[in-house]
Amino acid sequence: MIYYLPGLFSMLGALFSFALLRKKERLVSVISSLLSLISAIYLMFCSNFSNNLLYVDNLSKIFTLMIAIVYVGVVVFSIEYITNLKDKFLKVYQYFSLLHIFSAALFFSVTLNNLGLIWVCIEATTFSSALLVAVENDSIAQEAAWRYIIIVSVGLVISLISTLFLYAYANTLSINALIKEKPTGSMFLLGALLSIVGYGTKAGVFPMNTWLPDTHGKAPAPVSAIFSAILLPVSLYPIIRIFQIYQNPKLEFFAFSLGFLTVASASLIAGSQKLYKRLFAYSSIENMGMALVGISLGSWGLFGAIILIFAHALAKSGVFMITGNILHHFKTKKIEDIKGLYKTMPKSALFLLFGSLAVTGAPPSATFFGELLILSKTIQTYGYIAGFCLIFFVGMGFLFINLKVIDMVFSGISAPKKIIESNFVYIPILNIAFSVLFLVAIPFLYEFLKGIIQ
Amino acid sequence: MEKEIFILVGFLEIVMAIFMQWQVYVASNITTFKYQSWILGIFLLAFGFIDKDVPMVILALLTIITRAIFIPKYLLNTINKYLFRARENKHRISTSLSVLVSVLLAIFSYILSIVILSNVGSSLISIPLTLMLQGAFLIVSRSNAYAQMIGYLVMENAMFLMGFIFTSLPFIVEAGVIMDILGIVMIGGILMKIRDEDIKQEEELLG
Repeated sequence: MIYYLPGLFSMLGALFSFALLRKKERLVSVISSLLSLISAIYLMFCSNFSNNLLYVDNLSKIFTLMIAIVYVGVVVFSIEYITNLKDKFLKVYQYFSLLHIFSAALFFSVTLNNLGLIWVCIEATTFSSALLVAVENDSIAQEAAWRYIIIVSVGLVISLISTLFLYAYANTLSINALIKEKPTGSMFLLGALLSIVGYGTKAGVFPMNTWLPDTHGKAPAPVSAIFSAILLPVSLYPIIRIFQIYQNPKLEFFAFSLGFLTVASASLIAGSQKLYKRLFAYSSIENMGMALVGISLGSWGLFGAIILIFAHALAKSGVFMITGNILHHFKTKKIEDIKGLYKTMPKSALFLLFGSLAVTGAPPSATFFGELLILSKTIQTYGYIAGFCLIFFVGMGFLFINLKVIDMVFSGISAPKKIIESNFVYIPILNIAFSVLFLVAIPFLYEFLKGIIQ
Repeated sequence: MEKEIFILVGFLEIVMAIFMQWQVYVASNITTFKYQSWILGIFLLAFGFIDKDVPMVILALLTIITRAIFIPKYLLNTINKYLFRARENKHRISTSLSVLVSVLLAIFSYILSIVILSNVGSSLISIPLTLMLQGAFLIVSRSNAYAQMIGYLVMENAMFLMGFIFTSLPFIVEAGVIMDILGIVMIGGILMKIRDEDIKQEEELLG
């Protein structure tokens, strides 16, 4: 029963927010998200478990904990943020209900023992979150939501075909059975290749990631935070499982190539961004590209990918929440219009910079350590040229993003006076601080994931 | 016999998909999709009965209820409330070129099935593959949200046909897929009603 609890608490949160305790939706939401977090922490100390429906190993537990931490932060941060939004597309109780359904689908995506049902849950995250993107209620928000729903759904049709191929060949979709069977064959390879393209669409992997900057750029800050921090990594989760089931050099090279192209394209496009939310959206794409490279390499490359995913989730959720505060006070998303942030919003400014450094892999953050592992494994597997090209693009992304953030934080003054920051600013600050402290937990994480990283 | 009927059904589905490419009236496209789904549902139902395959019969009934009855009715309902959306303003690609590309896609799928996918199993795979590409082309060639949603649903129908060639997914997964499609159509329907398809080049959606 404990294995169902994180998702069940979210479902209950949705039920109570939508119907039973509609006027107390904020309190209900905080309680349900906290209960999900407590059960996710408790789950870390429980033994691994699998039956017909569930497959919970240490990787699932790490993903569950990551979802729960970001979920709590986003729910608490939303309390003030959503209340302050004018002319909303959704009522507050509808917003929280959809947020809970979305989170429940994410929890179940990483604990189910069936690749078909994982697909169903990941597709469920699309329709439960599409309206959250349109909350700002203007034609651009509606267009961004529409692009999200149609592009991601088409991508997921490709992953459904892949599921069909996998099932047609292996006659089972159970992760447990597939890991034991270790199927081979051209049809399984075709299914695995399609799954990378299909799930990659939702994870922001090149070439079907055009929805991502629009959606992250236009969604309200807490929604951008939960999308970037956990929706994208959860979409990579089935790909990690596919690599656990099936090792093939062609598949590994295909995933590496897509990951590499994702990093390269996102890093270069980030340089031409004029809006800070879109800038961080490209940073998310770059990080997911690096994670896919790590997953394709396996061994300590995979370990690096998991470190990167976890640390990025904490830091990026914090960064997006801070961008929400900046937008609220400055009423603009343009980078050039934000100057001297450290004088007007000192806490937000400082942690925006820390967060930006953390998500771009500045030493000594945990993301730096994750990227270092991935890069060293790249050099070992594909040689120095591939390794240095990857380092070059990661470096470009680092420079483009941080120079723009430094410009926002330190140059000139665009606001007349200091703004009083609300106490809700401590939510992103905590997330970013945890992301830095996560470095200390890496040795324990290695012990925890030893069975999976081979 | 089963193979011949499959080819006939696949042929009808492809012809209807090509018809959708030149159609400018959204309601006609929705009606065409309705007939496409009826044919698919009856085909699955018939073979479910012949093979005494209870899950397939249930799935066929679910297909008919959701894709052939509920979804077209829901979409037509929203069109009737927003009559200015009943006719598309313009296609991104001219009608004649759309039809030409559709035919070329059918030829491409056939060649692909022979050259690359021959070792995957059945040669019949070119039929759902053609239908899937037709759906994808409908999405990219139109700016109208209804046409794009119909394109997505055509792709999903193609998935069902593909499942018939290989092996249908477990019942619980298929049922989940149908529920997801319903969710996408319901939520998409809300956005389709309000979306401005003539949106200008906005800075927030560039780069």
